[in-house]
Amino acid sequence: MLEVRELTVAYGGVVALDQVSLSVPEGSITAVLGANGAGKTTLVRTISGLVKARSGSVMLGDQQLLGRAPEAIARLGVGHVPEGHGIISELTVDENLRLGGLWRRDRGDQRVAIEEAYELFPPLLTRRALHAANLSGGERQMLSIGRALVARPTALLLDEPSLGLATNLLALIMQRLKTLVADRKLAVLLIEQNARSALSVADQAVVLSLGRVALTDTADRLAGDDALRHAYLGF
Amino acid sequence: MHLFAIYTVSGIVNGMIYAAVALALVMIWRATRIVNYSQGAMAMFTTYIALVCIQHGVPYWFAFVIALVTGFVLGAVTERVLVRPVESRTPLNAVILTLGVLILLEAIAPMLFGGQTQSFPAPVSNIDILVGKIDFYFTPFGLLTIGAVLLMMLVFFIVFQRTTLGLRMRAAAFHPEIARILGIRVGRMLTIGWGLAALLGALAGMLTAPAIFLYPTNMDEVLVFGFTGAIIGGLDSPVGAVVGALAVGLVLSYVSGYIGSDLAPLGGLVILIAVLMVRPQGLFTFGRQRQV
Repeated sequence: MLEVRELTVAYGGVVALDQVSLSVPEGSITAVLGANGAGKTTLVRTISGLVKARSGSVMLGDQQLLGRAPEAIARLGVGHVPEGHGIISELTVDENLRLGGLWRRDRGDQRVAIEEAYELFPPLLTRRALHAANLSGGERQMLSIGRALVARPTALLLDEPSLGLATNLLALIMQRLKTLVADRKLAVLLIEQNARSALSVADQAVVLSLGRVALTDTADRLAGDDALRHAYLGF
Repeated sequence: MHLFAIYTVSGIVNGMIYAAVALALVMIWRATRIVNYSQGAMAMFTTYIALVCIQHGVPYWFAFVIALVTGFVLGAVTERVLVRPVESRTPLNAVILTLGVLILLEAIAPMLFGGQTQSFPAPVSNIDILVGKIDFYFTPFGLLTIGAVLLMMLVFFIVFQRTTLGLRMRAAAFHPEIARILGIRVGRMLTIGWGLAALLGALAGMLTAPAIFLYPTNMDEVLVFGFTGAIIGGLDSPVGAVVGALAVGLVLSYVSGYIGSDLAPLGGLVILIAVLMVRPQGLFTFGRQRQV
């Protein structure tokens, strides 16, 4: 369970997140929706320790994440798929995947986890020795998600995985994600501008507006209620 | 022809020393985008430590290892204690800081070890090897210099390309933020990187001192020539740094041999300017994809 309580973040004097609370139970996907500048990316970057919070709390299980360094948070089980995938294009596909869990003690399981990532996203297997710069947009996204999974995280933060992806490819990746969440009891926080795609896989949805939580509801109800959808998501 | 062979050999031997310094500069540049001007002074300092050890009866090769280890420690401590606090500021702050370390080390060295020029022992002879009656102009020490630098390059290549430590260090250098969210302790990687670079510098110091003697500023020229080699190679490319440094070594050797040793630094400057005019990014920066 990933639990964000009254999280407030400010850049200089500008408040980016204002008393944001949400929770992601294990084995479920919570979508965070909202327009540009609503604070979605700030939210994930704060959870993974890249941005300092002003106040509030972020708990993963019984561990407080706020105030820890990003590398420590990763080692506590938070996987972060950053905006624009964040793969290291100077390294090969295989090296990128290995980086996912280099800090882990269990070398044997590390190898198993890497093979699982290739099974999950077979296109990566044929490209494993290539530099990641040669990958297509979809393959980069697969690599980034696969890399985060190699560390066997308990919580997974996905920042706009739909960016630059063809609809059918996105649907495929989302489907993989859905099975994975059920299998591994992952708590997934899915940041999206593409609300339609996000709502199709999410269990719960949180709508952010100018740094505040405007609405929290189940994904089904938000997708099914035309008035709500029009008001908050504009489609 | 006879002179040409002599100049070529001496150019290669010196070029290998510049290559070690150039490679050390490139390692730090790639990891932190800082040119470490104290690289040469650190090497001078560790060579003095080796000399003190030797004067107190420590065997040469043991002193050699001590120099490399103190080099690693000196580099690592400099990064952790001095560079880290200014790292988040503009890179110029850190560069000025390394200049400060250079001045500091060159000021402390005379106090600790004496400012006069001292001879430094070589572990093997410095007289040409004769095969039958043919002189190949290589001295045992020249061969040792080439071999030691090549061996160290091989070790570094294996560490960076084949070990998980190297993978972590490359990730930290290419993309520190991504490395951190993957659980890599980027700060520690930088400390190790500076340590390894200074170790490579310490090797250059040990190989320089027998030929030009040891005094507090003895590595200044070596640093400048190594830096020139690294710039020619493009500062981002380890291979480029080695090739660039060898080119500098050869040009300097030919210029000082055929024209006059006073003009040698000018020769280095001429190739630097020529390369920067034709390819400002350096000779070996092709094929490096930038992230879109």
